[in-house]
Amino acid sequence: MRDVIYYFERDFLRWIRGKLSVVSALVMPAAWLIFVGLALPTTFTTNYIDFITPGIMVLTMVGASLQGGSLLIFDKILGFLNKFLALPSPRESILFGKILFITTRGLLQATVILVLAFLLGAALFPPGGLLLTYAILAVFGILLSSFSTTIALSLSDHDAYAAFTAMISMPLFFSSSALMPYDVMPTWLRFFAYINPVSYAIDSIRALQSGMIAWSRMAELVLLSILVVGISIHQFRKVTV
Amino acid sequence: MIPIETHDLTKYYGSLCAVDHLNLEVGNEIFGLLGPNGSGKTTTVLMLTTLLRPTEGSALVCGHDVAREAQEVRKSISYVPQDMAVDIKLTGRENVTLFAKLYGISRRDETIDRVLGMMDLSSRADDLVRTYSGGMRRRLELAQALVHEPKVLFLDEPTIGLDVAARRKIWEHISTLKSRGMTIFVTTHYMDEADHSCDRVAILDHGRVVAVDSPSRLEGHIAKDIISARISGKYPETLPEGVEFLGERDGETALFSSEHGSEMVPILFRWLEEQGAIVHSLSVREPTLDDIFLALVGTRDEGSGFDDHKFRTMLRRR
Repeated sequence: MRDVIYYFERDFLRWIRGKLSVVSALVMPAAWLIFVGLALPTTFTTNYIDFITPGIMVLTMVGASLQGGSLLIFDKILGFLNKFLALPSPRESILFGKILFITTRGLLQATVILVLAFLLGAALFPPGGLLLTYAILAVFGILLSSFSTTIALSLSDHDAYAAFTAMISMPLFFSSSALMPYDVMPTWLRFFAYINPVSYAIDSIRALQSGMIAWSRMAELVLLSILVVGISIHQFRKVTV
Repeated sequence: MIPIETHDLTKYYGSLCAVDHLNLEVGNEIFGLLGPNGSGKTTTVLMLTTLLRPTEGSALVCGHDVAREAQEVRKSISYVPQDMAVDIKLTGRENVTLFAKLYGISRRDETIDRVLGMMDLSSRADDLVRTYSGGMRRRLELAQALVHEPKVLFLDEPTIGLDVAARRKIWEHISTLKSRGMTIFVTTHYMDEADHSCDRVAILDHGRVVAVDSPSRLEGHIAKDIISARISGKYPETLPEGVEFLGERDGETALFSSEHGSEMVPILFRWLEEQGAIVHSLSVREPTLDDIFLALVGTRDEGSGFDDHKFRTMLRRR
């Protein structure tokens, strides 16, 4: 399992040496929070920033994970993947390395949001709740980065991958509970929002804000993650070029 | 133990047969796999490096089956694909370190210094690869491939895109590795390089081996002189006795073979002029691997195996 760290180190070094990509990764979520959190006119709550912060944090993980899948696409196009696959090191280490890096980068971005939200006057989480928030974000990151990396493994070029992310990112976000609570949604949306995995994470974190724990939502998130990671491992083990 | 052996190794992509019942035995040598683009070279390498499953047949690398004992095979080999995949945002040393770590090398730093030294990269080891030339990047890939002292090294087009000096240097390194006991399986379509550097070559066409031997023995098969002619105008329908058409190169040079090249030149010259062709130059030389290749691969849709009759066909159609 040390191999996972080695693959992680590679991606991490490459990321921090591209200074613009670091700046962009940290500015983008802040922009989301400010423009969506402060600018949207809302009537169902007087404190929209409190409401939207979990949504933007999870959204940031969605963006980070989908963007992270392109790492594997480039490894594939540029020939790195072939070299890695020919190594005796277990192939799922490549997957876990990507998951670790993409999730870590996502959590760093989510931290920017959290800090900014507090500065903008959002209510502070209790310490236990904060810890659990990070755990939920991490599991969600694992779920989605595993998914995006495995999709990338099966696609042959970057255009196809860009088409895939464009196709799923918007529906995934807008059909979630990120922007509004279930009771103000149109009825037809409620069902889709409820089964959307993005909502599992958002609902779990929102419950923590009011000092509650949404066990069933968290369980759904964890079970789905185990399933997706399991399928991903299988795909990486059997992949041929 | 035989480093590489294949038994009827076959790969279909759908209904397209990329590699067709390949039987090769590679000893401790530099073995070149030659062929035009799309002849199945890379597919063969991908199967031997466990990245692609054979449709039929089998292959053993260091005694291990590539399909059933992939893990064992991966421990004994290194693979350098043709893409030049090195991280330009990392230093040369960092690139090699990654592989040393992934291979679980003990005495890592020592090994990394040694392979960088072997590839003449010590002085630039801590520079970002972004600043490396193409030849240096290729040598860096070789350094990565050498950290675990593989028994068999697979190189897919190792000199593609490099200038002449860089190419020569890569081949010098490959020869050094062989002298240290490594088996090197290399694909290339640069005939002159294979001619100088490979102990044996296999010529692949449409997924089938059409010849396997040492370059000099393959050249001996022709045992004739090559007459190279620059001709324009009308091409002849027939040729004088004792001259055979081999093929054409670069669209303007026609190659002929003959037992007695020098004596044939005046005869061929008159013949061509009488038939209405304009001859710009005629020269006689020894056959090279390039000519063998042209003779074997230039003629399509015929049976496999080395066959002098093939040389006779293919009068240019214009």
